[in-house]
Amino acid sequence: MKKIVLYICLCMVISSLSYAQVDRSKYPEPGPAPKIELNDPATFTLKNGLKVFVVENHKLPRVAFSLVIDRDPLLEEDKAGMTGFVGEMLMAGTTNRTKDQLDEEVDFIGASLSAGSTSIFASSLKKHQGKVLDLMSDVLYNPAFPESELDKLKKQAITGLAASKDDPNAISGRLTSALDFGKDHPYGETESEETLENVSVEDIRSYYQTYYKPNIAYLAIVGDIDKAEAKKVVEKYFSKWEKGEVPEMKYDTPTPPTENKVALVDRSASVQSVIDITYPLEMRLSSEDYLSTRVLNYIIGGGSSSRLFMNLREDKGYTYGAYSSIGADKLITSFSAGASVRTEVTDSAIVELVYEINKIVDEGVTAEELESAKANLSGRFGRSLESPSTLASFAMDIDRYNLPSDFYKTYLQRLSALTVEDINAAAKKYIKPNNIYITVVGNGSEIKDKLEQFGPVSLYDNQGNPAKEIEMTDADITADKVIDNYIAAIGGEEAVNALETAKVMMKAEVQGQVIEMTMLYDDPGMRFNQKVSMMGNTVSNTTLSEGKGSVVAMGQTQELTDEQYEEAKMNMFIIPEAHYEELMYTLTLDGIKDVEGENAYKVIVSNPTGAKSVNYYSVETGLKVKSENEKTGELTYSDYEDHNGVKYAMKMVMKSPMIPVPLNTTVESLEINPELTDADFK
Amino acid sequence: MKKVSFLMLLACIVTSPIIAQNSIDFKEFSLDNGLHVIMHKDNTTPIVVTSVLYHVGSKNEDPSRTGFAHFFEHLLFEGSENIGRGEYMKKIQSEGGTLNAYTSNDLTYYYETLPSNKLEMALYMESERMLHAKIDETGVETQREVVKEEKRQRYDNQPYGTILPETLKRAYSKHPYQWAPIGSLDHLNEASLAEFMKFYKDFYVPNNATLTIAGDIDYDQTEEWVKMYFSEIPKGNDDIYRPNIEEPKKQEEVRDVIYDNIQIPAVIQAYNLPPKNDADSYAMDMLSTYLTGGKSSLMTKELVDKQQKALAVAAIPLELEDGGIFIMYGITNMGVKADELETEIDVLIKQVQEEGVSEQDFAKLQNIIENDLVSKNSTMAGIAENLSQSYVFYGSTDHINDELAKYREVSREDLQKVANKYLTLDGRVVLYYLPKSEQPQE
Repeated sequence: MKKIVLYICLCMVISSLSYAQVDRSKYPEPGPAPKIELNDPATFTLKNGLKVFVVENHKLPRVAFSLVIDRDPLLEEDKAGMTGFVGEMLMAGTTNRTKDQLDEEVDFIGASLSAGSTSIFASSLKKHQGKVLDLMSDVLYNPAFPESELDKLKKQAITGLAASKDDPNAISGRLTSALDFGKDHPYGETESEETLENVSVEDIRSYYQTYYKPNIAYLAIVGDIDKAEAKKVVEKYFSKWEKGEVPEMKYDTPTPPTENKVALVDRSASVQSVIDITYPLEMRLSSEDYLSTRVLNYIIGGGSSSRLFMNLREDKGYTYGAYSSIGADKLITSFSAGASVRTEVTDSAIVELVYEINKIVDEGVTAEELESAKANLSGRFGRSLESPSTLASFAMDIDRYNLPSDFYKTYLQRLSALTVEDINAAAKKYIKPNNIYITVVGNGSEIKDKLEQFGPVSLYDNQGNPAKEIEMTDADITADKVIDNYIAAIGGEEAVNALETAKVMMKAEVQGQVIEMTMLYDDPGMRFNQKVSMMGNTVSNTTLSEGKGSVVAMGQTQELTDEQYEEAKMNMFIIPEAHYEELMYTLTLDGIKDVEGENAYKVIVSNPTGAKSVNYYSVETGLKVKSENEKTGELTYSDYEDHNGVKYAMKMVMKSPMIPVPLNTTVESLEINPELTDADFK
Repeated sequence: MKKVSFLMLLACIVTSPIIAQNSIDFKEFSLDNGLHVIMHKDNTTPIVVTSVLYHVGSKNEDPSRTGFAHFFEHLLFEGSENIGRGEYMKKIQSEGGTLNAYTSNDLTYYYETLPSNKLEMALYMESERMLHAKIDETGVETQREVVKEEKRQRYDNQPYGTILPETLKRAYSKHPYQWAPIGSLDHLNEASLAEFMKFYKDFYVPNNATLTIAGDIDYDQTEEWVKMYFSEIPKGNDDIYRPNIEEPKKQEEVRDVIYDNIQIPAVIQAYNLPPKNDADSYAMDMLSTYLTGGKSSLMTKELVDKQQKALAVAAIPLELEDGGIFIMYGITNMGVKADELETEIDVLIKQVQEEGVSEQDFAKLQNIIENDLVSKNSTMAGIAENLSQSYVFYGSTDHINDELAKYREVSREDLQKVANKYLTLDGRVVLYYLPKSEQPQE
């Protein structure tokens, strides 16, 4: 009923307006810009130095507590990656609660509780505030740091790292950080399997004891709470937190290159090139050019109507997106402009990127671009205020970076006062077209030559280290000689020829599961058998015998075709190299390559049916360090040990497209010349 | 100690069931042409969200023209008689706003967030889209290419990306829910311009749309502008095509294997659900949280942490107007076979069916749901979306304020009841996603 009345009233109001004559030919003018009022959060500091900000917001019955530790960036060196474990370790249980109990109690009240190396965050409905603070402070005061959890986290991190070594964006990220900041800077160092393995529970504990101190911490409380209550709960839960001396760190400031340099990571599987144009840059929130560089970046490549996007995607169609960024950081940050483009247009895309960077310095920006950048940035600022936690982070920034107290209150006013001249001056000051790194992750053989026009090209590996380009010092070396050297290195022809049969057992562990492999070799009888089992069950059984091969897996038997048999034969002997000649394999030497830090001859082995396998032999020791095959993947050999006068690799790492994580296998037992029967090859 | 706090909690729930959910105020009215308008005023932040929900999704499509509804979500950014090609997005962004859109089996939703002094512009732009969007060969051609790339990126090239289409295909034999919103590229290629124009005329009409405005607004001014820009849009054909097809109850399990470009096998189970606005939907939603919501949920704890048979498990009720599906998926851990994981999943489902949910777990569920509902209405964009869905799918905009009460009506016994009623072994779909390398050679 009420509704009908309202409706009638409306009709009357509206019919008295001449709305039928709407001018649809142009956009309606906006109303006067809304006033944005920022209220200062309530602030107080505990005796132990903890600074607290309270943003009252009673719209919803919930409250969030966000603890932030403000320490200097850390150089972790041989333990790079350690800080990445701290958060999960804090959440892995306390001296009062196991991880299970903690998870259950958090879920029970529908709350969130999470931690990082410099933060603990808790939020819940107002009525569970006491409980969530109990849990949060338990995590803060009494973490148990169980060893088993660290082991699990390390395994996950190493699995993740293995995947990231093949991810072109991750490779590009490591490369640009390494170039911009240097490997000896906290922002430039990279973690490796080795540095992750180096991390111990004691490292985590000592980090926690050193840096989790109230005197370098902020606590932001946002939501359904007032200052008086906030004071009470903070006193109760955080006043017994003891302060302590925290070390301060200083680092040299990285500088841009003196001339343009090209850095290439050759990733032969790439169909796209990941391009970045980058250099280190000093820019802080407190800099007087902070705002003008925000505008400048928006115009270059901050959005999907900016210059880079319009040029490389809309006009040229090289890419799905092209963007730029200018960071802001207490220590050092970087300029970056880039895109992922089809391999064929790699050089053309770089030409356009460099063109846009030069153009903004030489020609500056237009008034129209400035207006649209201002509108976009002020819109973003306004929208960010919808979340009440924004006010808390503003207050924190002001304190952390010594900003004027009205920094955010005058933000929009200062933004709108910027002129074309201000932006052009910032472009001249901060954009350095002649001091850039051009980084490319892509298919080297297709693009390397075309990159030379932009500056000297250096090669890097997938970890951001300079790739070793090695020249062949021994001009007389041939593939046959490399094989001869290998045979000599493992014990000499005589010892190798004395090998007739062998039984090798190997073990690998993957996520708590043990995989066992048993290999039986009968070289004179041309027979081979391999069984793979998992938790006692045979997963696969491969047999080569009498010129035929079969694989039994998952209850199904598959006979190998002649070609498959020929290919499998390449690995059926105890020392395959001893048989290359009689099998009439073709050997090609393809230079010296870097294999995980070791120089090695690369030998391509082809069998008569055209199957290929690539072996690498150490220049220094002559030993085989790695082999690659399209189908079976990659094997790395190490820890050679003498058995009956022949050196055998006791450790092998297998990487294959069929298995999601690298398998670290260890030889458990090795029997030379045992008696083998026909039954072993059935 | 634990018991005491537990009892106190219960008391708290019983005595003050509505305290946690603050009521959302709104005003609503309809225009003569059938456009329904909902407004929510909140002057805390000077922003405004403008959204239009068109009650057309993939289920309204001709079976030989699937993908139309989603295609329109792209096409309608091409411009209008007064807005130039490609200008729609650029304009919103250069006025300091953001925008987005999505398409489901039931609906197509467009929204933009702008500084509140630009509300009139947003209304003008949405009215242009509804009155005379630009539908021409150039736009159709461009967007066909974009949709092709989208399909490649999000379905074909994405590990497990085809789960939804493959599951829907088997979960429905009659109802048009059997195809996913992305539809068929062939259908889009075959369609003529006239067919696209007809779809626009049939479904993009005010009487099939709900306009919602939430944020820093003045009610009177907003109503005036809405009238100004939307009144002249002609009402469409009254018989908007809505399939009236009842999906027959499946009598036996549908089981299949999909070989995909993946490394790790996955098990998918899907069970048919009642219509979205059925009272049982609340219980099924709670059941999904019980099974896989949070680190301490039944399946996550048992299958991921303890047995380590799964890397991840999730139960997702895909609620749809005519009855959606309850999708459950588990990704196996290294060396675990799909059927081993499925057996364990079934053991846990049977456990719930036979033993139900403990009082402690039930209290936990109620707490989680309460927290989720409160957070759902923490942004203007969230409120706008909930208001329009309440009106269109629950028959009353005020549903937004009843939601918690509806969940509170669900009893512990109801969870056991719905577990038995809907999670039935005969009538479900089971899919194994296996690596292509395991595909038997022909």
